[in-house]
Amino acid sequence: MTKTVSLFDDEFLKKLEYLSILSKRLFAGQFKAERRAMRRGTGLEFADYRQYVAGDDFRHLDWKAYLRLNRLILRLFEEEEDLPIYMFLDSSQSMTYGDPTKFDYGRRVAAALCYIGLSNLDRVNVIPYADKVRGELRPQRGKGRIFRVFRFLEEIATGGQTDARESFKTYCTETRRRGLAVVISDFFDVSGFQTGLDILRHFKHDIFVVHIASHEDVEPQLKGELVLVDSENNVSREVTVTPSLLASYKAEYNRFCTDIESYCSKYQLGYVRTVTDFPFEELVLKVFRQGRFLK
Amino acid sequence: MRFLALSGLQAAILAVVTAGVIVALYFLKLRHRRMVVASSLLWGRVLDERQAQSLWEKLRRVISIALAVLIGLLIAMALGRPEIHRLTGGGERTLLVLDASPTMLARTSDGKTRWQNAVTAALRIVNSSAPSSEFRVADTTGRVDAAPTSDRRQIREAIEKMKPMAGLPRFPEPDIETAHVRFITDGIAPLTVPKGTIRESVYEEADNVGITAFEIRSTPSSALGYEAYVEVHNYSKAPRETRLIVAGAGGQRIERTLNLKAGGEFGESFDLSKFEGGGVRAIIQGPGDALALDDEAFAYLPVARQTKTLLVTKGSPYLETLLKLDSLVDVTTIKPEQYQPDPGFDAYIFDGFAPLDAPARPSLLIGEVPPTNWLPRPMGTAQNPKFASWAETHPAMRYVSLHDVVLQRAVRLDPSNLTVLAESEDHAPLILASDMPGTPRWILLSFSLANSDFPIHSGFPVFIDNALAWLSREPLALRRQPGLVTVPIENAEIKALNGDVVEAHPRESGTIFQADGPGLYVATHENVRQYVAVNLGNSQYSNVNGGSSRKDLPETTAAGWLQQELWFYMVVVAAVLLTLEWITYHRGVTL
Repeated sequence: MTKTVSLFDDEFLKKLEYLSILSKRLFAGQFKAERRAMRRGTGLEFADYRQYVAGDDFRHLDWKAYLRLNRLILRLFEEEEDLPIYMFLDSSQSMTYGDPTKFDYGRRVAAALCYIGLSNLDRVNVIPYADKVRGELRPQRGKGRIFRVFRFLEEIATGGQTDARESFKTYCTETRRRGLAVVISDFFDVSGFQTGLDILRHFKHDIFVVHIASHEDVEPQLKGELVLVDSENNVSREVTVTPSLLASYKAEYNRFCTDIESYCSKYQLGYVRTVTDFPFEELVLKVFRQGRFLK
Repeated sequence: MRFLALSGLQAAILAVVTAGVIVALYFLKLRHRRMVVASSLLWGRVLDERQAQSLWEKLRRVISIALAVLIGLLIAMALGRPEIHRLTGGGERTLLVLDASPTMLARTSDGKTRWQNAVTAALRIVNSSAPSSEFRVADTTGRVDAAPTSDRRQIREAIEKMKPMAGLPRFPEPDIETAHVRFITDGIAPLTVPKGTIRESVYEEADNVGITAFEIRSTPSSALGYEAYVEVHNYSKAPRETRLIVAGAGGQRIERTLNLKAGGEFGESFDLSKFEGGGVRAIIQGPGDALALDDEAFAYLPVARQTKTLLVTKGSPYLETLLKLDSLVDVTTIKPEQYQPDPGFDAYIFDGFAPLDAPARPSLLIGEVPPTNWLPRPMGTAQNPKFASWAETHPAMRYVSLHDVVLQRAVRLDPSNLTVLAESEDHAPLILASDMPGTPRWILLSFSLANSDFPIHSGFPVFIDNALAWLSREPLALRRQPGLVTVPIENAEIKALNGDVVEAHPRESGTIFQADGPGLYVATHENVRQYVAVNLGNSQYSNVNGGSSRKDLPETTAAGWLQQELWFYMVVVAAVLLTLEWITYHRGVTL
C-alpha cells in the first residue's frame, strides 16, 4: 500500500477551478455540459443533414428541403454534452521510485485533472493499471465528488509489471464510450510504450500522455560493479557502470523520451513530460498550459 | 634474466603466487553490488548495444586483469632484483682494493693527495659499473673489508671509511665468486697481488723530506741522562734545505738547518740534559714537502728525579756503598727486624730478607731469602753455578756483563710464570723477574752477594741501576706507528697530549686505539701509566717515490643501457601504470 498523501490544499483547488480541459476533438456525452460533443442532438447550433429514418424526431425534418427535393431530410444540431475522461494511472512497481515517487506525483496529476474535469461537469473515471486493470472509480460527475476521487487515489496499491496493452484492451472492450484518455505513466513497459497507446487509438479515444520520470531515471547515480535488478520482474543484469556507460544510458533515455514524443506528435496525441522533482504547482499551471492541455 | 635476490624457482613461485592472488582478488572484486532500479529496460538496451558494438568492451575486462597482473608482477619481481645483462650490464663481483699505505697521503701536483685521487677513482669505478654489480671494498691495512654488496650507498660509505695508516700491508684474498680484482695504488707498498688484478695507479713523483727515526734513550754514562736520536731523510730527486727543530715541554729547543742532497740523510743524537721531563717534539720544515705525516715526531722524556729506596739488610758493604754513591738513588738503610711497609718509598731492596706479604712497591730481592707465599718455591741448591745466558735486551740487564761472575751457591727456584733474566748452564734460574699486571714488579737474585764476586764486577752497579730504573723509574714511551695502536695495559684510558680522551677499546691483555697521525699519548689504568709515542718513523713510508704509473685497466667496465638496477625501472613502470589506471578509472576509461 502506498502511503497516503495530502494531495491539495484549498488554495490550490481554487486555482484549478478556473481551468478547463481543452479537448481537441468533440465527444458525445450523456448529459449536457460545457463542451461540444460529437453527438447531434437538441442543441441550437445547426450541424448537418441526413436522411430521415423511421423513429427520428420528425420535429427536426426540413420541410423546405422536402418541397424542393421530395425527400425527407432531417436537420441535425450540435449539442453541448459532458466529456468522459478516463484517467489511466500506472501503478506498477517502477512507479514507486523517485523522491517523491512517480506514483505519488502521478496521483497528484490525476487528482488535479479529475478536479478540473469534475468542475467542468465532465464524467471522470480513474483506472489504475499495471499488468492489468486494478479496479476503477466509476464515472463521477460534479465537483462534490472530488473527495471520492481523492479517497480512491489514496487507496490504490502499487506493484507488478507494466502491461498497458492488456490493461487498456480489457478496459476499452468493456467501455464503449469514447473520451479523453489521460495516460499517466513512466512508460517502462517491456512490450513497448506504443502497444497500450495503440489500443486507445484503436478505440478512438482522444489521448493525452503524461510522461513522468524520476531523477534516477534521467540521471542515475550509479557507479562501479553492480547487479541491476529490475523492480518489476526481478530480472538481474551484471554491469560495470562507468561514466561512459552512464552517458550511453542517458542517450538511450533521451531516445526513449523522443520516441514517445514523436509517437504522440505523429498521431496528434497530447504529450507532456516531467520529472518528479519539478514543482507540482508549476507543472499544472504552466507546463500543462504550454502543452495546450489547459486553457 | 636472473634474479640477484631469488633463485629461479623462488622467482617462478613468486610470479605464480602473485598472479594467482591478483586474479583471485580481481574476481573477488567482481562480486557486484546488488542495486534495484525502477526498470532495467533501458539498461538492457544500452548494454546489449555496447556489447554488440564495441570490441573494447569485450576486451576491457581482459585488459584490466592483465594490467593488474602486470603491475603485481612488476612489483613482485622487483623484489627479486632481476637483472638482464643486455640492459643492466654485468652484475659480477669485483674486489676493489685501495692501497692504504701512508705513502698514499703524499700530495700530488693537483693539490690533492694520492689517497684522495684513489678514492675518486674508486667511486668512478663503482659509479660506472653495472647497477647490479657487487663490490667488495677492502684496503691493504685489513681494517676495512666490507661484505660484498651492490648497494652503492654502502659501497661509498665503506670507501669513505678507509684511511691510510702504517702497518704491515696485506692484500685481501679474493673469494671464489670474485670475477674481477681492481687495485688502486701508488705502487710503493711491496704487495703480492693475485693474478689478473687490474691496477690503477695514482702514483705521481713527489718531493719529500721526512723524519725516519726519533727516539729518546738513556745515556749509560750519565746519571738520569737522556738523549734524542733524530734521523731525517731526503727522498726528493733534488737537494733540499730543511729546518729541524727539537722542542721540549719546558720550551727548550734545539734547531738545525739541514742541507740534504738528493737521497741524503741526517742522523744525530741530541743531548737532552737541559730539557725538562715531558713530551718532546721533532719537526722539520721546508717548502714543497709532499708528505706531512713524517714531518713531525714525538717522544717522551722521563722526569729526572732520584729514586727513594729502602734497603733492608743485615749488612752488605758493597751494596750500601754502591747505593750511597749512586746519585740516582736516595737510600735509607734499616735492619730486617725494623722493616715496616712504607708507601713513601719508590722501591725496596731486600738483602737476605723477604717480608711475609708482598710489598706494595717494587722490590729487588737478593740472596737466599726465606720462603714466602709470594715468591717462587725453593727447589734445592745449585753448587758453583755459572751464568750461561742472560736476557741482554731486558731493561734490567742492558749493558750488564756476567761473563766472569763466580757463584759459590744459588737456590734453585721454580721459574713458572716468571721471566728468567739469567740462568746457569743446567738452566737453574739465577736472576728472575716478575712483571704481573696489577702487582708491583720485583727482581730476585737467587744467590747472595756474599757467595759471589758479582759486587766487584763492573756490571753490578749497572745492574743495580737498571733494576731500580726498571722497577720504579718512569719508563720511556712505547714507540708505535700511526694506525691502530695497541698498549699493553688492560682497560687503559688514552689521552692525547692536549688532554683529550681518545676513544679506546679493550683487547686481550691490552687496549687499542686509533692514531691517525704522529702524536704523544698517555695510557693510564689505576696506578699504571705509560706514554706512547706514535711516529711514522719508517723510511719505507717516507720514501714516497719509486712507485709505478702503470695503468692496466679499461677506464670503465661495460655497463648496460640502464644506469639503475632493473628493479628500479620496474617499480617506476608499475607506479606509472598504477597512476594511469587511477586516472583512467576516475575518468571512466577503465573499469
